[in-house]
Amino acid sequence: MTMVKALNSALDNAMERDDSVILLGEDVGTDGGVFRVTDGLLNKYGKERVMDTPLAELGIIGFGIGMAMEGLKAIPEIQFQDFLYTGMDQIINQMAKLRYRTNGDYTVPMVLRTPYAGGVHGGPYHSQSGEAYFTHTQGLTVVTPSTPYDAKGLLLSSIELDDPVIFLEPKRSYFIKGEVPEDYYKIDLRKANVLKEGDDLTVITYGPSVPLVQNTVKKNNVNAEIIDLRTLNPFDINTILTSVKKTGRVLIVHEAPKMFGVGAELAATIAEKAIDYLSAPILRVTGLDIPVPFALEDYYVPNERRIMEAVNKLLNYQ
Amino acid sequence: MIEKTDISKEDLLNAYRNLVMERFLDKKMLNASKQGFLPFYIPLMGHEAIHIGIGLAIRNNDFFYPYYRDFGAVIEMGIPLDMALSQVFATENDNALGRSMPDHFSFKKYNIGAVITPVAGHLTAATGIAYAYRYRKKEGSIITTFGDGATSTPDFHVAMNFAGVYNLPMVFFCENNQFAISVPTYPTENGAFDQTYMETRGDIYKKAEAYGFKGIRIDGTDFVEVYRQTRKALENAKNGPVLIEAMSYRMGPHSTADDPNKYRTNTVPEGSAKDPLIASQKTMKDMDILDDGMIKSINDEMDKKTTELVNKYEREPKPDKHTMLDNLYEEEPWYISEERGDVQ
Repeated sequence: MTMVKALNSALDNAMERDDSVILLGEDVGTDGGVFRVTDGLLNKYGKERVMDTPLAELGIIGFGIGMAMEGLKAIPEIQFQDFLYTGMDQIINQMAKLRYRTNGDYTVPMVLRTPYAGGVHGGPYHSQSGEAYFTHTQGLTVVTPSTPYDAKGLLLSSIELDDPVIFLEPKRSYFIKGEVPEDYYKIDLRKANVLKEGDDLTVITYGPSVPLVQNTVKKNNVNAEIIDLRTLNPFDINTILTSVKKTGRVLIVHEAPKMFGVGAELAATIAEKAIDYLSAPILRVTGLDIPVPFALEDYYVPNERRIMEAVNKLLNYQ
Repeated sequence: MIEKTDISKEDLLNAYRNLVMERFLDKKMLNASKQGFLPFYIPLMGHEAIHIGIGLAIRNNDFFYPYYRDFGAVIEMGIPLDMALSQVFATENDNALGRSMPDHFSFKKYNIGAVITPVAGHLTAATGIAYAYRYRKKEGSIITTFGDGATSTPDFHVAMNFAGVYNLPMVFFCENNQFAISVPTYPTENGAFDQTYMETRGDIYKKAEAYGFKGIRIDGTDFVEVYRQTRKALENAKNGPVLIEAMSYRMGPHSTADDPNKYRTNTVPEGSAKDPLIASQKTMKDMDILDDGMIKSINDEMDKKTTELVNKYEREPKPDKHTMLDNLYEEEPWYISEERGDVQ
């Protein structure tokens, strides 16, 4: 099934087993969501559990936080990650900090789902990769799936967590297909996925860039180990270090801009903990450091040519 | 007036005693701040009748989501003084381990939400709590408080709209003390040196109408009146939300970092008719619950009691520094474990 259907299946499973799970957001009810992730759930679970909201991201997020404070499992959908910022105060100051500032008196078991990154030629306001805003906010768990199977398992694990999760759905992968069980299953949120073992270099990537990395490595016969982070914060340091110590060469690929991004934190952590094992500088292939241009998006995102240039530079580094 | 309340004279007298205690505690906590025992403090003077009235009105099943100037309401609800003062003085016994500024209470087991500093940051959460109450068919209603400045925020308008759309069982309670730090709420005479700038031209209580529910304006200087109106609103909230605008006056500075002499003349000096302590005394006397002898003896008792309390709490130990890294996540991330080594 597609990633959209896998996400729908996860929500269906979660709502079936637990009546505290409630969906809310713009157009998630009658319309089933603009990407159809919540399709059919209104008919099955009713208006009290699948709520169309007024057009206000601040309200959707704050409302969900309140529900979570009272023991419900709120799963708000923000239609595009680009529109989430009017609710950013709620995310940073309330959702992320509640457990800490009350020393656990209140927790926020809430999963904020939102499509992110490019793939639909959406220009500056339907294409953003804002993950670094969330990964740099203490208290948030930031998860991003790359396959339909992961999308379902990671979403169900996120729903069970007693902490707020920013669940970033790569919209460019919404309609890729894969095997997905109908039944309930979970995936460890604190464990990265080694997609392919290899010896010559480690490629660390996640979300929307995973298929590109896999295809590029396969097509060019690169003996690379590919790590899909799955969770960006807290990321799985052990899987990364084990691989880096084996290969000694590291490439980080993400669609978000490079400066001050997730790749920077990964590179710094690897340098701090394993620089003696490195045979080459840590390289990054990322989106460009500009807003996403409408007409020229294809030149903005990482591509095979840029990845192979970096791979060859790493492999040839003396 | 007593006939219209469903509480006893004894309850009202106890409420008055709490009001006096709040007045004395406030002065002494402000003093503790000046002496360096509190790095920051938010004065309460002028709000006491609102606080006590709200505290009296809240019943066991109701949920209270306060803002940062609601000390007396929490006390009047029956929260142990030790819990509240441990929070204010950020002692090792604070249930939140001294992580937040004074008056930022979070007492979940008493149905009190976690006070947040950014103005109005709790209002949308309060609507979600109200929804959860109705979804779970819980008894009681939600009441959330905020200042007049909060009504300028997007949070206020979004929360009011959500409450109207979903017809939520909640009371929005605006403690209008007429100033958002230095900016007057309305372009009217309230001692502001300059009335060019203001928070709003439209009456706050009337803003409810645009969101499809009722708003009322009440006198916030008499706790019996605040109690009556708030209790009524909480009971009616089962049929939909209500906005209350309670008129009071911030008799002190906004915070210990503020000097109101820069921007206004104090039009409600302590001891004047609109001072909530004086206004409440008058009501209580009219009801034959209070006389001058009792006023004096309660004053003496509370003066002594609050001195002892502040002396005690300002010297309580602070939380153990090793607790600082606890409880960020359900499961501690590897980097927090590493940072434990940085706290020596």
